[in-house]
Amino acid sequence: MSEIKKYWKSLSQLNEDPIVKRLSENEFVEELPVDKFLGDKKNLSESQTSRRDFLKFLGFSTAAATLAACENPIKKSIPYVIKPEEITPGIANYYASTIYDGYDYASVLVKTREGRPIKIENNGTHSNARVQASVLSLYDSGRLQYPLKSGKEIDWKTLDNEVKNKLQEIRNGKIILLTSSILSPSTKQLLQNFINKYNRVEHAMFDSVPYDGILNANQESFGIRAIPSYKFHKTNIIVSFGADFLGNWGANNYASDYVGGRNPKSGKMSRHYQLETNLSLTGANADKRIQIKPSEQAYLLSNLYAALNGSSADKRLKSIVKDLKKNTGKSIVLSDSNDKNTQLIVNAINQKLSNYSKTLDISIPCYLKQGDTERVHSLIREMELGEVSALITYNVNPAYTLADNKRFIKALKQVNLTVSTSSYNDETAELMDYVAPDHHNLESWGDAKPYYNYVSLMQPTISPLFNTRQFQDSIISWAEMNEVDYYSYLKKFWSNKGIKWNQALHDGDFNLSESKYFPKRFVFQGKLTDNKTQDKNIEIALYESIALGDGAQANNPWLQEFPDPITRACWDNYITISPSTARDFGLKNWNISNGALNGSLVNIKSGNISLNNLPVMIQPGQANKTIGMAVGYGRKKCGKAGEGIGFNANNFSNSNFITIEKIEGEYEFACTQLHHTMMGRDIVKETTLADYIKDPSSGNERLEFSTYKGKLPSNKVTLYDEHDLKTGHFWNLSIDLSSCIGCGECVVSCQAENNIPVVGKEEVRKSRDMHWLRIDRYFSSEMTKELAVEEKISAIDMFSEMEEPSENPEVVFQPVMCQHCNSAPCENVCPVAATTHSSEGLNQMTYNRCVGTRYCANNCPYKVRRFNWFQYAENEKFDYHMNDDYGKMVLNPDVVVRSRGVIEKCSMCIQRIQDIKLEAKKNGDKIKDKDAQTACSAVCGTNALVFGDRNDQNSEVAKLREDERAYDLLDHLNVRPSVFYQTKVRNKG
Amino acid sequence: MQRESEIRDPLIIGNKSYHDITVEIAKPVEGKANKYWWILFFLSLILFLWGVLCIAYTIGTGIGAWGLNKTVNWAWDITNFVWWIGIGHAGTLISAVLLLFRQKWRMAINRSAEAMTIFGVAQAALFPLIHMGRPWLAYFVFPIPNQFGSLWVNFNSPLMWDVFAISTYFTVSVVFWYIGLIPDFAMIRDRVNGVINPLKKKLYTILAFGWSGRAKHWQRFEEVSLVLAGLATPLVFSVHSIVSMDFATSVIPGWHTTIFPPYFVLGALFSGFAMVETLLIIMRKVVNMEAYITVKHIEYMNIIILFTGSMVGVAYITELFMAWYSGVEYEQYAFLNRATGPYWWAYASMMTCNVVIPQLYWIKKIRTNLVTTFILSIFVNIGMWFERFVIIVTSLHRDYLPSAWTMFSPSFVDIGIFLGTIGFFFVLFLLYSRTFPVIAQAELKSILKSSGSEYKKGHNDE
Repeated sequence: MSEIKKYWKSLSQLNEDPIVKRLSENEFVEELPVDKFLGDKKNLSESQTSRRDFLKFLGFSTAAATLAACENPIKKSIPYVIKPEEITPGIANYYASTIYDGYDYASVLVKTREGRPIKIENNGTHSNARVQASVLSLYDSGRLQYPLKSGKEIDWKTLDNEVKNKLQEIRNGKIILLTSSILSPSTKQLLQNFINKYNRVEHAMFDSVPYDGILNANQESFGIRAIPSYKFHKTNIIVSFGADFLGNWGANNYASDYVGGRNPKSGKMSRHYQLETNLSLTGANADKRIQIKPSEQAYLLSNLYAALNGSSADKRLKSIVKDLKKNTGKSIVLSDSNDKNTQLIVNAINQKLSNYSKTLDISIPCYLKQGDTERVHSLIREMELGEVSALITYNVNPAYTLADNKRFIKALKQVNLTVSTSSYNDETAELMDYVAPDHHNLESWGDAKPYYNYVSLMQPTISPLFNTRQFQDSIISWAEMNEVDYYSYLKKFWSNKGIKWNQALHDGDFNLSESKYFPKRFVFQGKLTDNKTQDKNIEIALYESIALGDGAQANNPWLQEFPDPITRACWDNYITISPSTARDFGLKNWNISNGALNGSLVNIKSGNISLNNLPVMIQPGQANKTIGMAVGYGRKKCGKAGEGIGFNANNFSNSNFITIEKIEGEYEFACTQLHHTMMGRDIVKETTLADYIKDPSSGNERLEFSTYKGKLPSNKVTLYDEHDLKTGHFWNLSIDLSSCIGCGECVVSCQAENNIPVVGKEEVRKSRDMHWLRIDRYFSSEMTKELAVEEKISAIDMFSEMEEPSENPEVVFQPVMCQHCNSAPCENVCPVAATTHSSEGLNQMTYNRCVGTRYCANNCPYKVRRFNWFQYAENEKFDYHMNDDYGKMVLNPDVVVRSRGVIEKCSMCIQRIQDIKLEAKKNGDKIKDKDAQTACSAVCGTNALVFGDRNDQNSEVAKLREDERAYDLLDHLNVRPSVFYQTKVRNKG
Repeated sequence: MQRESEIRDPLIIGNKSYHDITVEIAKPVEGKANKYWWILFFLSLILFLWGVLCIAYTIGTGIGAWGLNKTVNWAWDITNFVWWIGIGHAGTLISAVLLLFRQKWRMAINRSAEAMTIFGVAQAALFPLIHMGRPWLAYFVFPIPNQFGSLWVNFNSPLMWDVFAISTYFTVSVVFWYIGLIPDFAMIRDRVNGVINPLKKKLYTILAFGWSGRAKHWQRFEEVSLVLAGLATPLVFSVHSIVSMDFATSVIPGWHTTIFPPYFVLGALFSGFAMVETLLIIMRKVVNMEAYITVKHIEYMNIIILFTGSMVGVAYITELFMAWYSGVEYEQYAFLNRATGPYWWAYASMMTCNVVIPQLYWIKKIRTNLVTTFILSIFVNIGMWFERFVIIVTSLHRDYLPSAWTMFSPSFVDIGIFLGTIGFFFVLFLLYSRTFPVIAQAELKSILKSSGSEYKKGHNDE
């Protein structure tokens, strides 16, 4: 043992002088003269506190107390003790992962900052608005924060013991695992362990929106229960009977292929026919849209099949038949029917057209939908008979999604042990004995095999926020498996198959080398029908809204405030009905004094199912004598944002015919667009493919103005000094109106990137939505300027008729954000110079300087500026994610949260541009084209939005600027936007 | 001594001596207020306090308390602003322009008209302040040297021009008004008994600025009045021209119009005279000034209203013509929409009140009748409010992209603030009528012998 060195302060200390010793024992060398003034009783009693002294003491103590109270509130932010190696504050990390919630699937990149996922980016494929918004659902404080037993908190150990004991006690009854379609191969194997562990375990899958028709038809035709893969880019003709494949039908990555096959520049554009009931996103993009009733689908498909075999076609199908015959092997016919026989006819048609293995392939099946609704029905019967002893649910909410949910809820009481693994205490979970809440996707490990030979991996990007446990870990525990956790199980599972785990995790996905599936030879066994429906009945067609899908994310305020691409309404579902049918029933939509939309109310009834007080939205393009209703709304238990929004349409999912009854009262909608036509204005420039091939600049004529120099286009007439836009960068954004399908993924992406507040239904109703990027949707009108001249209609009548959309309108979508004018009207009028021009062609907003006169918003011809009417963050009145400690974690630290009273608008994601510029500067590189991306352009799956530096001659955007289709919105104003559009090209017959 | 033709109507009725004028004009200041004054005062005060509450609510919660939206970002706030500024214009015109043109009849009404100007501009100035999203940063709009870096105001912005135009106008108006008041304050000072009422004496002594009535004082008084009149005259035209540029320099169809400056100035005079009439017809009765503010005065003003109203009508029609003639579809639609769109009723009210109804003044019986004049002046006030509402709201609510089209509907706060400014205006005006000589008696005395009715009859032949 080493001795501790000792130092002395003085020689006397070394010599251990007794004085030193005594002094060191006594802290106070001299005695304090306390006694002197306290002991002197006489003086003490005589000394008095004068009034002045008293006031001094009072003043001092008040001031001291006040100052002490002024201390800043302590906010708990705990710094890293040891900084994790991969995290640098201020630098984002990206992790490849997978989003799958039983309905939506996407392979994604998750952007994290300081350990918090804040944004979803696409990993090479197209996703949708819901996938983009799922990052906010992670921070939903409405999620279950701990396991429950009969609605009361319980710890995991007790839950596991009780569940295991009860499972073991089961002797006769079945144990049912009721799940959504399971994409995960490892989970399927894991479940097998559970099945083997206990007696009579059965695994049943069902989809919230059933696909049994197509699955069963393919089972019968090809021996495989799956959806084929579609190659829309290889087609010349697409005929869709109701399938909203650009929206929610099937997988959500069809759009990139679809748009890939419609490139006017290459001269090849597939022609798209859509025969449908509701005006869907897909129908809105179709070249020709034919309105049919749902009941006509089987007849029309039979007729089409017969016509292809030589008999005469229905007059609606004549041109389709002609086109299909010309393009054998280069077409796709598809249908959304959930009837096996109808899907068999579709298969027969595609077989007849020899499309298989050319444009659609059953030997590369898609496994996204595997559910068997029939099994669920039989399950309910078994539950009623008491044959089921235990029910464990995962990723499903049958008490909400099933048409006969009431029967399910009743039957549930016959089951001894019920366990839900839902991450919400939802409609089903609240009825269960135990809830073992699952992690959110972004907290979970996992894998998914959505397609043949393709696997994508899911990895957690944050440690669990709540005391939840991944479903698979619950299974491992309940099956008493000899595993540490699901992560090691998963890693082992794929490593055993020869997959390099770390590389695969880095990429997010990998391909398997399985042998191709050989379908059995196709024999048509379906029945053709020539049954046309009676005209009297009103038919019903349910759909999933683009915003909410099946409603699993109903508590997500971004999605609730996401305007439907077609109706532009948010925070609601409603009955859509055609204008003429609405007239028949005396149903109306009207605008009240502040412009907001109101609608009539109806009751609907089908057999013994009825729904009352439903709002009516008059929807041009809806087939006559039909109504549409979106599922996904009317959630009763999902959290504060989504509860009580809309009504549950799922009860009607088995109904075909309904009766409508108008009732008294009115409904208040929140619509972000109140006017539906272009009023004969040159806003979306359009041409046809034939005209485009003849003249690429067709439909894109620029106005010319008479000047003293002769006629000049607007961009040559100016009073202003030009900005120097040649030096440095010149950021431009091209928006291709032919490629934009209006899906709105960019809208949510923008909202997530830029901390855009959610304002709620009442404020949207007052036209105060805050989205920086909106997608305008215009319907065509029967009245045109040409027609008015021809028929000598007065201007007043012409304009009033132009306000009415056609009954079967053509639809255009136009994303509009700040156009970043280089002669910006907003910049001139701001008294305090809070909005100014950058040297890189951007219009910039300085929030700190803004005093909120709103003059700029008035003077903006595009009306893209948004005002903070209230304090939207940390305000009880706007009780959404910005007023929630968890919800606030989604905010992008690179973008300021705006205070009330200032204007905000699209910044062209200046924070991203700046980030890329700094990165390039650090590396001594030039910025490469496509490196800098805005939030909207980064997620656009159809490449409709192209962002880049126009001064870089080789950039795509510079080339697009020179394209004959390029035009400025409202070019006659000559505000010289940095955003420009490409004309819409339709492939009309 | 000026002489005036006998066939001209007298401007002072009755056999008044100089002393009579002094006594009668000092009476409201020296006497007690009657019942009507108190009733009016309390009504106005309640309105004013309600307005204060509404303003406090707005500043406390945000502009969202109003009915505005993403498309219509200005509505009642700027409508009220322009309306009040417009009302102010008659005062300056009467005191400055009519002075230069040597119109003697202005003497009976210029004091009150100027008071109205100042109180009106005070109401108007409120709106640019409270319509801001962050009014506590209002000082940003002044070119104050600051520590924030290279921050400076944007001199390109018409709102910036407004700041200067209104502050100049307000300052000049106050100075002009005050200079005119000095001899009259001196008159009250001299009449107040300092023993009974020392405070009042002291106050009016200060206000009278040492006025002694010396010839030199009178000479300077006349010179300063003339100089200030010369300064104020361009302001009559510049202020409302600049206000109109808030709209004229923008790109919004229906705003972007070169006709706006003269059109706004005429509209302002039109509404200003109407408001002067509304106020004076009541005031002459309440404070017994019938002898000084005669039907002839009212008739003169009615003629100006008839003229400016017709000019405003011409402007309206010119706008329509230009929209058609321009061939610009956005411009054409903007005006078509004004007349036939969802706000047709506002356009129709404006047209009726401003163009059709003033034409009744061609009839002598109507323009010389106090009751009809009072009713018509109210119509003009309403019509001119609607004119600003039509220009602002109907242009904004349907501009370029139909996707952004919407409507506007005021909230109770919008209405409350407007009523509050009316209340505030009347509170100020009623206080003024009890503390200030409401007629410029010193000036009026100068025309007693040329325009007094008794003198005109020949009693004064010397």
